[in-house]
Amino acid sequence: MLNGFLKKFLGKSDSKDVAKKRLKFALIYDKLEVSDETLENLHRDIVEVISRYFEIDHDAFKLDIHRSDDLSALVVNTPILSAKHR
Amino acid sequence: MEGKIIVVTSGKGGVGKTTATASIGAGLAMEGKRVAVVDMDIGLRNLDVVMGLENRIVFNVVDAVKGKCKLAQAAIKDRRINNLFLIPASQSDNKNVLIPEDMVRFGETLKAEYDYILMDCPAGIERGFENSVAAADEALVVCMPEVSSVRDADRVIGLLYARSITPKLIVNRIVPEMVERGDMLSHEDIVDVLSVDLIGLVPMDDNVIVSTNTGNPLVLQKESKAGAAFLRIAMRVNGRTDLPIEVPRAQGKFWKRMGTKFGLGK
Ligand SMILES: Nc1ncnc2c1ncn2[C@@H]1O[C@H](COP(=O)(O)OP(=O)(O)O)[C@@H](O)[C@H]1O
Ligand SMILES: [Mg+2]
Repeated sequence: MLNGFLKKFLGKSDSKDVAKKRLKFALIYDKLEVSDETLENLHRDIVEVISRYFEIDHDAFKLDIHRSDDLSALVVNTPILSAKHR
Repeated sequence: MEGKIIVVTSGKGGVGKTTATASIGAGLAMEGKRVAVVDMDIGLRNLDVVMGLENRIVFNVVDAVKGKCKLAQAAIKDRRINNLFLIPASQSDNKNVLIPEDMVRFGETLKAEYDYILMDCPAGIERGFENSVAAADEALVVCMPEVSSVRDADRVIGLLYARSITPKLIVNRIVPEMVERGDMLSHEDIVDVLSVDLIGLVPMDDNVIVSTNTGNPLVLQKESKAGAAFLRIAMRVNGRTDLPIEVPRAQGKFWKRMGTKFGLGK
């Protein structure tokens, strides 16, 4: 009890609160991880869809996941050679 | 008879899967059910020594699955607890000798013979895990109040959900003094992080080591708090969901307890 009082008084936080916070972040981060296989499949599917509407440069097509502290973004970048008119 | 297969799993090793399997299996048998506990840790068998049945192994689970023996020949009957049977792992093979399809078939054979079948899953999420969950109807996930164990539990829970199994959580090796001091995750913290239903809380207890030293069932040890906790889990598994979950408390002094009561402990 005294121990607890002192901790509060000195403004020290419980180590389990640190553990919980770290865990929550770790679990979120773990779930954002994507396997190479998934990325390759996604790459193929996106190219297929875009190709229905545009002539694109397949070699220059780029697919990336950009991560920062509080945000994860899927970035697709592709040069368009021409639009398909139908 | 149409039994139920329950896998006991965790991702991480050394958190208490084997201890839980032996004790919950014993508890279910004491409830009058016909129970088989299956050691799926092929190549690293241990459920046999924990249960004190290591001297009676003739055939093992690989023999039974591959049809080299009858199920009844591989199942060792516990002489202290009625209706409890162990199907030991093989020690000479590795996990890849079995495939999930084998286990689905074997599961049907087991279900025809027993009310409850507990699969003691090995650590990891590879083939040994896949074989252990292949035929499972339900799952018990064991974790310790510790960061790496909870993280691994989360991973395994995700894999179980992907197989349409909604697991129940056992938090094992709780040290109440540390929880009260704020130096160990409480079960509320863990449930909050994992969003999963709890089925029981088991304290750290020296009797666990004592009982594995001698091979005597933990649940028959009168003063064992862990044994009593596992018995309650067995009853809840067996449908007694009205049974409240007991939270392990520190033995501490009166004032310490009063302090906790009035919120001064933390
Ligand atoms: N509640 C407990 N209190 C004390 N020791 C425990 C408890 N549960 C498990 N242990 C010990 O922890 C170790 C690992 O347990 P075990 O059941 O073999 O884990 P796993 O099967 O998950 O690898 C063993 O030495 C066991 O005796
Ligand atoms: Mg084990």
